[in-house]
Amino acid sequence: MNMATMVQVEGLRKVFGNVRALDGVSFRVEQGEWIAIMGPSGSGKTTLINILGGLDAPTAGHAVVAGADVARLDESGLTRFRAEKIGFIFQQFHLVPYLTALENVMLAQYFHSATDEAEARAALERVGLAGRITHLPAQLSGGEQQRVAVARALINHPKLILADEPTGNLDEANEEIVLRLLRDLHSAGHTILMVTHAPSIGELAGRRIELAHGRVVQITAVSSSR
Amino acid sequence: MFARLLWKLLRGSQSRLAVAMVALVGGAAVISALINLDFGVEPKLTQEFRTLGANLVIVPREGARTSDAATSAPALLDQQTVMRGLRQASSPAVVASAPYLYIVARVANTPVVVAGTWLGEARKLEPAWKLVGDWASLRDDKKLCLVGRNVARQLRLDADTEIELHYLDRSAKLVVTGVCDSGGPEDNQVLVNLPVAQELAQLTGAGPRISLVQLSVQGTPAKIAAYAAELARALPEYEVRPIPQVTEAEAAMLGRIRLLILSMVLLILILTALCVLATMAALAMERRADVGLMKALGGSISRIVGLFLAEVGVLGAAGGLIGGAAGVALSRWMGARVFGAAISARWEVFPLTVALMVAVALAGALPLRLLGKVKPAVILRGE
Repeated sequence: MNMATMVQVEGLRKVFGNVRALDGVSFRVEQGEWIAIMGPSGSGKTTLINILGGLDAPTAGHAVVAGADVARLDESGLTRFRAEKIGFIFQQFHLVPYLTALENVMLAQYFHSATDEAEARAALERVGLAGRITHLPAQLSGGEQQRVAVARALINHPKLILADEPTGNLDEANEEIVLRLLRDLHSAGHTILMVTHAPSIGELAGRRIELAHGRVVQITAVSSSR
Repeated sequence: MFARLLWKLLRGSQSRLAVAMVALVGGAAVISALINLDFGVEPKLTQEFRTLGANLVIVPREGARTSDAATSAPALLDQQTVMRGLRQASSPAVVASAPYLYIVARVANTPVVVAGTWLGEARKLEPAWKLVGDWASLRDDKKLCLVGRNVARQLRLDADTEIELHYLDRSAKLVVTGVCDSGGPEDNQVLVNLPVAQELAQLTGAGPRISLVQLSVQGTPAKIAAYAAELARALPEYEVRPIPQVTEAEAAMLGRIRLLILSMVLLILILTALCVLATMAALAMERRADVGLMKALGGSISRIVGLFLAEVGVLGAAGGLIGGAAGVALSRWMGARVFGAAISARWEVFPLTVALMVAVALAGALPLRLLGKVKPAVILRGE
């Protein structure tokens, strides 16, 4: 794995009982790439993202992310790995309901190191939520909640952004806002792995990795990322 | 951020935590009241026991005989020596003390035990006596006496009646100032001031003699025993001993009350912990999603559970403070009901109650340990 490689996956397997969610997946992602992981439901996309993000452990194989083999990390190592190297964006937003937008962003800072309210405010301003800082998630629209999640994912300057269907629960207008944010992040040099069903969104990435039945069936370089 | 999160956690689960809070406040109130009662029960109980009369007695050593060997009469105490010893071992714990000289005199040809003492001290020494008439307030008044109710009935005596005591060839005329009902041997006695009995027995002069000295000493059985030992050192020639019926009854009663209080405190602590436990088990289930997310964001389980434990600790401390204050009022009420006088609050009960409630709350928060097993991937999948 050279210095420019952000993710290197080799022979990754994950078995849940009798179900093989991942069955010998291998690929490599270079630093600054935007990868779309696509495939039908049950193809293993979310399982792959979870393993790369240190949320789940593989049954076999290796997944080296930002220099760390996640299969070999212990519980505390995985905790530090998630805090320092990964920024998650989930389809369901997953904001803490009793914390304001600002506090949700600061929560990630708190688990990473020290909180910096000014930096958290600036992160929310960057995603266009300057006026919604003190709102609770229930007082925000779906798009606004997802933008809070994007601000939270970026606040600790992660090496890798893992986005699992980030626009899956959004209307067209909000989808466009979130995709614009992802484009900006990519332009700024962030490495993004994004799970999506939608081919049109997959077109935004530099490469598409297509999964089926837990296996990589195709890796396609997208000709022009918009 | 820690304080901010703590505040939000407390506000976010208000209704759920209110149940635990009610249990903690209720438990703290009763525990605080019981501990205050425990601190206050000893002085109250010893005060109650002091109404039962003397609990310490100074007597001649067993087997000692009077210097007049020919009479083989029981030995007597030298009054001046005893009084000197009492002054030497003076203590604020001594509520009252009085010398006694017993002789058997005759009233209208009926033999009757005459107890010469300090009548002025009798009221302090025996506050539980019921008296018809008046107490004699002076210890050297040779004209007044008290008579026990049995003597009064047998000799048809009332307050203000005159009686004449005869002892050998000597006699003394006295006026009955009151008829006492002690429920004890005094009901069969005539109580006169000590000089009257000493003159009748011709035990005055350079070294007046007495039979014994009774003392009413305040304090725990241990403190009374310690004072008895001190007094014995001051009076090595005599025997100083507690009256076992009184001191043992006091110790047994105190022990039983303390055991009862301790049992109730333990029971309430367990019940409070169980109530908190049930609430926290439900809360832990509610918070699985939050914990899964926090873990995904890089929160270590120790930090996350630490946050929840701090929340429970704050709850315990608040419950302890509020309940502790309520317990003061409760202990005053209980003291008034049981002992007829309010028990004053002890400041040290507050931190003790708060510490107990924090400990109980943390023990009740045991289900939060289950949060350590939460798998973020499972939670984020919505399972």
